[in-house]
Amino acid sequence: MKTKHERAVRCKEATKHVCEHLDEEMDSPRCRQIRKHLQECPDCTAYLDGLKKAIKLYRTIPNPHVPHSAHKKLFAVLKLDQ
Amino acid sequence: MQNVENEPELVRRAQNGDKQAFSLLVKQYESTVYGFAFKVCRNEEKAAETLQDTFVNVYRKLDQFNGKAKFSTWLFQIVTNNCLMKRRRSKLDEASVSIDSPENGGEDSEREGEGAPLHALVLLKHTPQDEMVNKELRELLDDAILKLPMEQRIVFVLRDIEGRSAEEAAKILKISVAAVKSRLRRARVFLRAQLQEYIET
Repeated sequence: MKTKHERAVRCKEATKHVCEHLDEEMDSPRCRQIRKHLQECPDCTAYLDGLKKAIKLYRTIPNPHVPHSAHKKLFAVLKLDQ
Repeated sequence: MQNVENEPELVRRAQNGDKQAFSLLVKQYESTVYGFAFKVCRNEEKAAETLQDTFVNVYRKLDQFNGKAKFSTWLFQIVTNNCLMKRRRSKLDEASVSIDSPENGGEDSEREGEGAPLHALVLLKHTPQDEMVNKELRELLDDAILKLPMEQRIVFVLRDIEGRSAEEAAKILKISVAAVKSRLRRARVFLRAQLQEYIET
């Protein structure tokens, strides 16, 4: 039976680790331990899902186009033909 | 970003003063540079200024590019440096304003200095109700990212929005991979906390 302190430290490690390695392969022994912890810990899983959702929200914003005025000014400053 | 056919040759020609080759390079990368600057400073005017400053610097420093790194990595070193410089200049402006008129200082004026919400951006849904939700969401995303220190914001945009590797981000910013990971972790934790209410509903 894990003490509350042991659990807290492991959660802290797990959340730090998933923050740093969110989109990387998790194949090292430490990564496997973290993955196992995630499978057993709903709090950390929810935290990880929240992180992924936050990043996904930023990715939904489409790339802006260069305004024509900015393009025109850029080429004028660089003395290039349009 | 599309790959330019025989880009090293195009760069070499531009380095030798071929205006047409330089023009092709600018056309190839202007939307990449503008898009990155916009995602970092969330403001059309600042993004346009960064676009211009970046290519003026590229023109001036082109003979210093030695081809050891990818041209796009070198270009991103210049654009990220311009974003950092702009932020520093903006802080100096704020400092001088607060000396002249202390009542204008504080958090609100700093936020204003960062730029208006992303009014130019359109998300996927288009019904009036959805547009209202999208507008609220855009403002929430803007507010959250603009609160990040510039160093963390740049890493977050490079890694999580642009999808560049930790190694390339480290090369661009001339910092260690460990420093990239540390900045990214802090940015992700902060943004997740800022968006907590939206994420949980």
